[in-house]
Amino acid sequence: MNTLCFIDFFHSLTTNPFIILSLIAGITASITSGITGAFIVVKRIVFISGSIAHSVLGGMGIFLWLKRTYDIDFLTPLQGAAVAAISSALLMSWVKTNFKEREDTIIAALWSTGMAIGVIFIALTPGYNVELMNFLFGNILWVSLQDIITLGILAAIVSVLTFFRFKHFKAVCFDEDQANLQGINSQRTYSLLLCMIALSIVLLIQVVGSILVIAILAIPAAVACNFTKRLSTTILTSIFFAILFTLLGTITSYECNWPPGATISLFSAAAYAITLMINRKKQVNIFLKKKNISSRNFSKR
Amino acid sequence: MTSNLAIDVRNIVHSYDRNIVLENVNFEVKQGDFIGIFGPNGGGKTTLLKLLMGFEKPTSGKIKLFGKSPEKLRPYVGYVPQIQQLDKRFPITVLEIVMMAFLSKTNLFGKIPKKYTEKALEALAQVGLENKINHTFGTLSGGQAQRVLIARAIANDPKILFLDEPTASVDPQAEEEILHILDSLKGQTTILMVTHDLQTILNKVEGLLCVHRQVHRSLPNQICEHFGLGLYHTPITTIGKPGKIK
Repeated sequence: MNTLCFIDFFHSLTTNPFIILSLIAGITASITSGITGAFIVVKRIVFISGSIAHSVLGGMGIFLWLKRTYDIDFLTPLQGAAVAAISSALLMSWVKTNFKEREDTIIAALWSTGMAIGVIFIALTPGYNVELMNFLFGNILWVSLQDIITLGILAAIVSVLTFFRFKHFKAVCFDEDQANLQGINSQRTYSLLLCMIALSIVLLIQVVGSILVIAILAIPAAVACNFTKRLSTTILTSIFFAILFTLLGTITSYECNWPPGATISLFSAAAYAITLMINRKKQVNIFLKKKNISSRNFSKR
Repeated sequence: MTSNLAIDVRNIVHSYDRNIVLENVNFEVKQGDFIGIFGPNGGGKTTLLKLLMGFEKPTSGKIKLFGKSPEKLRPYVGYVPQIQQLDKRFPITVLEIVMMAFLSKTNLFGKIPKKYTEKALEALAQVGLENKINHTFGTLSGGQAQRVLIARAIANDPKILFLDEPTASVDPQAEEEILHILDSLKGQTTILMVTHDLQTILNKVEGLLCVHRQVHRSLPNQICEHFGLGLYHTPITTIGKPGKIK
């Protein structure tokens, strides 16, 4: 890929409306993933989010099966994904309260159960499921105007919720006991946070697909965490990185004819690896500096 | 008589999944007292604190804080958790942590009124960290982090202060500073502090609670030298000089 390729992409922007729609979808989804991704990373619930992301396959499979078998036209796999994601989020919240000591095992069980239900219903659904393949692996280049409107509404809900409830979310992520002492129902706030994450997952399924969604959700925020001191700035930086990775991934996938979801995920992973290496180098330098100072002090004595 | 009581615990039994953690617990704490809580690991110290703060409901029995249920008194309670419970990599500044003492004051737009920032700064000055307000939690030493949590707990002028091992994993100088801060609060606030280090608090506390499934109250001069070795038993004898572990 060279500069000419980028020029070719930007030329397509003026001639191909699908490209513009895909970029708008990518930016909208990045705003949402930047916000919720920051909470996922600081609360250390990447595993829970992964479980929600994979269990949506169950909802998609059931809705597609209902649509094809009983000719229920208004049902779409995306609606099924939304129902499954919200249900999984509420279930996870309930598990956290009631089965704390076996939380990780139950999460893993829910993860595989959701996928198993999805696989069975896909097998039962008549015809070839191109639509479902797009949801599994994502295809940002096929986003419609209707999808953009849905994405916009969901992104607005997540942004408004975060604006009004930011301090409560931060408190529950940092110290649930303190939140409880201050009269915040931490259980309810945690459930709300998980539902917000579930909504974001549904949004991002359009972009990278349910299999790779956790990469774009967690990695930009994990990268941002290395440069920020406050959660609010982590969120803003995370949005920036999510937009950057989505744009780079979309352009590259267009030029190289690669799957967009996988390309975006690879860009994110590469950036994370670079950040980890930079951080490691920084830590080694700090360690050596401290060692030098202490040995100098020792020799003076 | 009861109006002078800060804490009144009657016949508490508490269990997790049929395993009894605390049973037949009865004790009283007067307003303004500084009480040390000690006992073996897994003896129920943290559970007792959780019950007193209303985070958990006892299986049976009654708890009253200033004549009210623990849930009703929560806004007047300060809590310093064990430092290991908190994530030191969390992107949060010292001032943001202390402002968490005023979460109940958030307005419709999710903001805390500015007057409470002044109170948070006063609390930070009280623990000697007024020059660290913009530092991140992860960059603080163990002692400083613990003092930030104490600042958060006292910022809201609590009636009762619960501390869960605030001097664990800090150096002796930081321990001294923390105990000095608590000493300055004596009389104004009722303090209950879980600790393993009895020696340092014996001459500061009015009483001690040994928690080992049951709760036994002792005076500082009833503390036996065995306790310092982790061998806990009911206060049957007074050994050595009052208030000193040999």
